[in-house]
Amino acid sequence: MLSKTSIERILSAALSKGGDFSEVYIERSKISSVSLLNGIVEGAGASLDMGIGIRILEGDKCVYVYSNDIYHEDKLIQMAKNASASLSDAPNNKTIYLTPEIEYYSQKYEISPTSVSKADKVFKLRKAGETAKSYSDLITQTSASESDLERDVWIANSDGLYVKDHRCRMRVSITAIASSNDDKQQGYFAPGSGEGYEFFERLDLDELALKAAKTAVVMIDAKPCPSGKMPVVIGNGFGGVIFHEACGHALESTAVGIKASYFTGKKDKKIASSIVSAYDDAKIAKEWGSYEVDDEGTPSTTNLLIKDGILNSYLIDKIGSRRMNEPSTGCARRQNYAYAPTSRMSNTFIANGKSKPEDIIADTEYGIYAASMGGGSVDTSTGEFNFAVNEAYMIRNGKVCEAVKGATLIGKGDEVLLNIDRVGNDLKLAQGVCGSVSGSIPVDVGQPTIRVSEITVGGQA
Amino acid sequence: MDSKIREYIDELLKQALKEGFSEAEVYYGSDNSMSVSAREGKIIEFENSDSSGISFRGLYNGQMGSADTEDIQPDMIPFLINLAKDNCKVLEVKEEITVFEGEKEYPEFNGFSDDLAKIDYQTLADAALSMEKELLAYDSRIEAVDDSNAIYSSTISYLQNTKGMVCETATNDFAVYLGCRAKDGEDVQTYGKSWSYGTRAEFDAKQCADIVGKHVIAKLGAEPVDSIKTPIVLDRFAAKSLLAAFSGAFNAEAIQKGLSRLVGKIGEKIADEKITLVDEGMIDGSRLCCPFDSEGVVTKKTVLIDKGVFRSALHNRKTALADGVESTGNASKGGKNGLGISPANFHFEKGDISREALFEKMCNGIYITAVYGLHAGINAISGDFSLMSEGFVIRDGKIAEPVNQITIADNFFDVLMKVEALANDVEYFSPEATHIQSPSLLIPDVSVAGK
Repeated sequence: MLSKTSIERILSAALSKGGDFSEVYIERSKISSVSLLNGIVEGAGASLDMGIGIRILEGDKCVYVYSNDIYHEDKLIQMAKNASASLSDAPNNKTIYLTPEIEYYSQKYEISPTSVSKADKVFKLRKAGETAKSYSDLITQTSASESDLERDVWIANSDGLYVKDHRCRMRVSITAIASSNDDKQQGYFAPGSGEGYEFFERLDLDELALKAAKTAVVMIDAKPCPSGKMPVVIGNGFGGVIFHEACGHALESTAVGIKASYFTGKKDKKIASSIVSAYDDAKIAKEWGSYEVDDEGTPSTTNLLIKDGILNSYLIDKIGSRRMNEPSTGCARRQNYAYAPTSRMSNTFIANGKSKPEDIIADTEYGIYAASMGGGSVDTSTGEFNFAVNEAYMIRNGKVCEAVKGATLIGKGDEVLLNIDRVGNDLKLAQGVCGSVSGSIPVDVGQPTIRVSEITVGGQA
Repeated sequence: MDSKIREYIDELLKQALKEGFSEAEVYYGSDNSMSVSAREGKIIEFENSDSSGISFRGLYNGQMGSADTEDIQPDMIPFLINLAKDNCKVLEVKEEITVFEGEKEYPEFNGFSDDLAKIDYQTLADAALSMEKELLAYDSRIEAVDDSNAIYSSTISYLQNTKGMVCETATNDFAVYLGCRAKDGEDVQTYGKSWSYGTRAEFDAKQCADIVGKHVIAKLGAEPVDSIKTPIVLDRFAAKSLLAAFSGAFNAEAIQKGLSRLVGKIGEKIADEKITLVDEGMIDGSRLCCPFDSEGVVTKKTVLIDKGVFRSALHNRKTALADGVESTGNASKGGKNGLGISPANFHFEKGDISREALFEKMCNGIYITAVYGLHAGINAISGDFSLMSEGFVIRDGKIAEPVNQITIADNFFDVLMKVEALANDVEYFSPEATHIQSPSLLIPDVSVAGK
């Protein structure tokens, strides 16, 4: 590991050819995973990852270099100098003095997940698989897995900032597959947490296994979903992926800072129905998407994005801050050292409204109830988004009716937010992995039950 | 390769045998890359990386366990071996496979171009700046070029085991990506595309800009069509995306575990007789060749679907042993316990008519140029898909107005059965070629959701 004075010298070398800001990010990670298929342990992985990323800014221009070698100061100084070759050639002969190290604990565990034997983890996973299998003869396969990560990061920059952060995350998944003739449908849950092994110990995995099996069995009998524009009631929890895709990405300064977002210049303007308020909150204790300090060393915030339909705040990182002349919101994140940090989401959700979920359904004459959502994607320039529905039902005369399968919802971000005409009072968060320019990172999505008055549903019928 | 890395690998294998592994294998991969992005006539991003890692796997207690590290320091070896050992202790798979002793002969292959190796920062900066400039000049409705990127990368893959096998390849690559926004009134459209070159001379900034410019301008004014069942022509790039999303169905591991619809279908008709699906590691003269797989087995040409009949899955040595067949040379890094299965160069054999002839054959329908959301909008096992799409109306056999904000929904296996025609528009040697390819397909009776 590099000493503080080595880091100071690297930061200084990075400014030797122009550049007004330099930053060093170092990480060491222990990653472990185990997986079972049909009750048999068939996967077990472990890895030790580490690396260093050196970033130089000149205005809003970014130079980034990274390496796995965190041992050789000479080599890193040379890398930093080579990297600055593309800059303006106005040396910034700044001597860097780092402050004493400030230590953060983005996650604090009671029991280190990597210290627990895999055999202990397997016991509970196997039982969950058996529970799912026992639900119905239609369940032909089950899989269960656990993965965890413990990571220490150091962030230092030419302003003198020097922080260390301890991070820890754990995720568990259970899948049940139901089969009938050539059709196979699956039910799936994958809760995650910013905690240690105590999360796994506390988790009622059997209950999730039963729910997953139930979904698979319901969906195997499902008819193809109808196509066309119609009202859609979207269930709480992972349903929040609609806000994540349709709105969240377009509020990131990566897009707004270069005017490539349809929300550029919309601050203080109405962008959503007045019953919609939404947050990006990295400070929720022990949550999967939370952190105390971001990957630029800025403390995390609770960011009110939309207040009663009015755009209140963007998600801004350091480069975005320079481009937009607004302070950073502490949202710079990256998958690991191989990525320069960019503005990203943490725990992003639509806040509770006033409607009861059952009243929302009762008020809907005809439409789709999307009980459980899959993933999606968005083009932040045009606003076009798409996402898959994993578990859906027809709504007729205010009642949830038969299950339908194969539905995809598509639309435009700016239109769908204005078309939310009911917001429930049953807010729930759910865990996912978000992929974007700075890699794949853990995020929470969330919402109460909502209704969109009209959206395009793509089905096979 | 660095002699220190070789010494490290020798030491790792030696210590593994001493620690009770009956055999062991090490995969070393290193990747050096340099990428440059231009915006508004300036270089806005420059990235340079130097990364490498070790994957160790070995047989202990009858289990093949693995562990990976990026910390390649001799004093970390005992720690890495212990991690792999811990994994062996918990695994419960009946392991009959051992590490491979190696082929008698490996094909001659040079994937490293000395011409590409001359690429430096300035070459990439010039490429990125010139693409942006050409594209902005293409049409005044091109509002911004959000991505004009040029990337050079070189990789080394090295495999060594305790049975004496040593395999090594070095490759390098020059790729560009160009993406932009066009605006006409309130209407905004985007389009982006990538190319990968075998020589520096093949790159032509204006050609890239013209292709992207033409496509994005053609998209302006796009609107949904009515929800309808209609024939479609699935463009080669959209068809490739769909084939890639369902390529896992042909993976022998998925089939053996009952996680593919192709269980028990060998010898059966699973597609129209116009369909032949092949995978081949070595295509003469292609920059996409891979001479051996991640177990050191020489890659082959495998016919998966022969005129509609399912003939073979893709195998590594383990799945091949279980099925009593030869490995097809498709072992890949990164699966369970370090080894999975993936295609090399996977494609439908092309048909004999042009894409325009497909439009004429279809007469009226929709030409789908892109599908989105493949990571979510498919059921990889059942074959069902429902995907956001865009393209053009085909009227009387000719391309008419642009279409967006629609979905197409069907089932991949049904599509294989009902394909009416394949075009001849696959190019194995062009800078557009990728590891998975398809010609454009004419598919009848697809559900389209729109207005």
